[in-house]
Amino acid sequence: MTVSTDQHKEEKKDVTFRVFRFNPQVDSKPYFDDYKIPVERGITVLRSLNYIKEHIDASVSFRAFCQAGICGSCSMRINGLSQLACTTQVWDVLAKCREEGIIKIEPLRNLPLIKDLIVDMDPLVDKMRHYSNWVDSTMAESEMGKKEFLVSEEEFLRYDKATDCILCASCVSECSILRANKDYVSPAVLLKSYRMNVDSRDGIHDLRLAELVKDHGVWDCTHCYRCQESCVKSIPIMDAIHGIREDAIECRGAKDTSGAKHAEAFMEDIEKKGKLVEATLPIRTNGVVWTLQNLLPMAVKMIMKRRTPPPPPLVKSSKGIKVFRAMFREMSEHVKQDQKSHKK
Amino acid sequence: MKPFDVVVVGGGGAGLYAAMEAMKTNPSLNIAVLSKVYPNRSHTSAAQGGANAALANKAKDDTVEMHIFDTIKGSDYLADQDAVDVLCSEAPKIIRELDNIGTPWSRMDDNTIAQRPFGGAGRPRCCYCSDKTGHTILQTLYEQCLKKGVIFFNEYFALNLSVNGSRSRGLIAMNMKTGKVEAFPARTVIFATGGHSKMYWNRSSNAAGNTGDGQAIAYRAGIPLKDMEFVQFHPTGLRKSGLLITEGARGEGGYLVNRDGERFMARYAKEKMELGPRDLVSRSIETEILEGRGFDSPAGKYIHLDLTHLGADLIKSRLPQIREMSMQFEGVDPIEEPIPVRPTAHYSMGGIDTDNFGRTVMDGVYAAGECACVSVHGANRLGGNSLLDILVFGRIAGRMAAEESGKFEPGIISDAELKEQLAATRSNMQSSGHFERYGALREELGQTLAINVGIFRESSLLQQGIRDIAELKERFKKVRVFDSSDVFNTNLMQVLELKNMLDLAETVAAGAYAREESRGSHTRTDFPVRDDAKWHKHSVATLVNGTLSLGEKPVTMGRYELQERTY
Repeated sequence: MTVSTDQHKEEKKDVTFRVFRFNPQVDSKPYFDDYKIPVERGITVLRSLNYIKEHIDASVSFRAFCQAGICGSCSMRINGLSQLACTTQVWDVLAKCREEGIIKIEPLRNLPLIKDLIVDMDPLVDKMRHYSNWVDSTMAESEMGKKEFLVSEEEFLRYDKATDCILCASCVSECSILRANKDYVSPAVLLKSYRMNVDSRDGIHDLRLAELVKDHGVWDCTHCYRCQESCVKSIPIMDAIHGIREDAIECRGAKDTSGAKHAEAFMEDIEKKGKLVEATLPIRTNGVVWTLQNLLPMAVKMIMKRRTPPPPPLVKSSKGIKVFRAMFREMSEHVKQDQKSHKK
Repeated sequence: MKPFDVVVVGGGGAGLYAAMEAMKTNPSLNIAVLSKVYPNRSHTSAAQGGANAALANKAKDDTVEMHIFDTIKGSDYLADQDAVDVLCSEAPKIIRELDNIGTPWSRMDDNTIAQRPFGGAGRPRCCYCSDKTGHTILQTLYEQCLKKGVIFFNEYFALNLSVNGSRSRGLIAMNMKTGKVEAFPARTVIFATGGHSKMYWNRSSNAAGNTGDGQAIAYRAGIPLKDMEFVQFHPTGLRKSGLLITEGARGEGGYLVNRDGERFMARYAKEKMELGPRDLVSRSIETEILEGRGFDSPAGKYIHLDLTHLGADLIKSRLPQIREMSMQFEGVDPIEEPIPVRPTAHYSMGGIDTDNFGRTVMDGVYAAGECACVSVHGANRLGGNSLLDILVFGRIAGRMAAEESGKFEPGIISDAELKEQLAATRSNMQSSGHFERYGALREELGQTLAINVGIFRESSLLQQGIRDIAELKERFKKVRVFDSSDVFNTNLMQVLELKNMLDLAETVAAGAYAREESRGSHTRTDFPVRDDAKWHKHSVATLVNGTLSLGEKPVTMGRYELQERTY
């Protein structure tokens, strides 16, 4: 490889790239190809793949465009973690290899595979459309271009970080909910939805929110934080997801959706007992009819296996509940004040 | 396929603005955007600094007229003054319109759109969103196009115009997902395919795909290219990769320093210092290096861009991206130490010759953005005017195409023509007689351009460059596509892109050889001064019977007379 660095010129290692291969035209199932190449310190994964494509196997297929970490094309799984190949240093990856000297390269998860490391981004675009991931301006089209909206620094800061998103779909690939339900809104789309919803220039906040609280929406997230941990732009995606939830409870009331009711019941239990009253949680979340229809078979199974949660009267308050309640009240007060100052 | 009213080729800022405006002009039209990447990947996203507009939010005495003058002077008087009028007068409107549809502009204390100083500008008029301006504009436009229901053909590689005499029948493109060659019969076609500076390869800040596909297609269809010899070298590319450090870094107060610790710009632009126009700053850096005052390293010679005195807070809040890039690609944290930089091929001033409405000589074919040459940048573009150019003229071309589409009959593209195109496209996939490696040719093209058609040019160097390009074109005929697959054959796409770059490189070198003067970005050491008597004119490159033919076109003057250009 041609690029050398000053201090580390002599540092060179043989690295094996174990690359996921699949060409739908000829392969019935995916396999891996190993490519062993010499890599100097300072070389990125993308440059290594380019080297493999140019000098060893031209058929290895992947996307790459800006090569500077801003277009989002070259996201892929590198040793299991979704990230951009163009900003990932080979030596950094080597330091954390499970098998020494071997770097596994795979396509993103949770999106349909096209070929080798290339996945179909259309489902993500479709979701952006579905959740109206655009500012629907409060200004009439005929008035546009005549004057600026006045936007405070404080409002700008609310969506500044979210607009860093380059739609690389690393979060989509890492999302544990999407693995179970491909119709789930997905972290990137929640982030974008949040960014639109806190923008005062947008006029369809309620409409977007109504869609977000439906099935496959914002309440399906289980707070695993993998989206945030994998974000190549270090965007606090979970803050956005929590932001939408708080907004949903505040704007639409806790009675509207099962997600909001679930959160409300959770809070109630924690405040009263310091722990969950699991037996009635489904009823309080989804109502008696739904619970009977959907959970009765499971309840019977749980009884058979003696795994049933204790009935509500038997759930004792946790130790130190008084101190805990005082802390709880203080926290609630802080949250309220935060929300107030946010609105100003 | 049902014929389209408007087919936009390219999904960057110009293409998306064109599509959005065309939809706005007439929502009943059948409008499609065809792009070789997902639109949000386009190179507009890499524009960090901002877009100029005389909003007078920051400097209350700024005016459109001053913006016009700065642009004309910056162009070394080669820009057409009526076109510059349009660019600068429309600027405030465009910036406000983008604000109105959701672009997250950074803000001033009074909640208006923030502005900062930029090279070659008399007032701080560059509107920005920290150092991700292009990215946020591109996202906004993509979002609005989704909202408006623009039809997207993503990951389609444009191959050729189907031409019938002086008329275009539409476009022929390859669907990357299937490898099929498909017809896009259309009343109008707008090229918005971006620049071609990637031909300088690793001495370029451009994305891998900035290969001038639209320009090459237009050129092969007989549409003239204008001012191709003018290639802008951005002063501050990262030493190792050529990737760009925004002019905003100097706008925020960064210094350029040589190995003697001297702020050498005092020698070249006493008043403007680091914020001189790009051609001047690039030449200054190159001169420092040539005269031995640069730093040396195995990765090449360089000078320092020093931001350390700006402080961690400012760097983190206003220049976070460039900090990240410096760390990722040079291992240097600009808070702690200076960034190693050298000039890098960045922008093509030349492109498809259009009038002020984006129209080319061919009825129903338009061009906008970096692939076009209106010309508003002349011999040198000012920082902050390229985003502006793609927005203003993307919008105008979109409206024109929508309005004029009714005038043109949709063409029919025959199956025979598609078959022929498919065969031509795949000819390099045969093994017999094809053995040249694409990577080697591309590398050599970049080399010869950087050495012989670079910042400092001279007759014998240019002749060598022309010979090299001709030889590379010969060798290209024997280039081999090693991937035989139909599905997402990126190897094939790279080879097709190289073909486009080779065709355009010939026009760049030929234009540079012919122009015996120094103007803007074009510096001839053997003709060191501007020669208005002989060369105050545009150059025009046209393909006639398969051969490059050079012509000329007068510059449209206006209120501003020719002056010597000093900073």
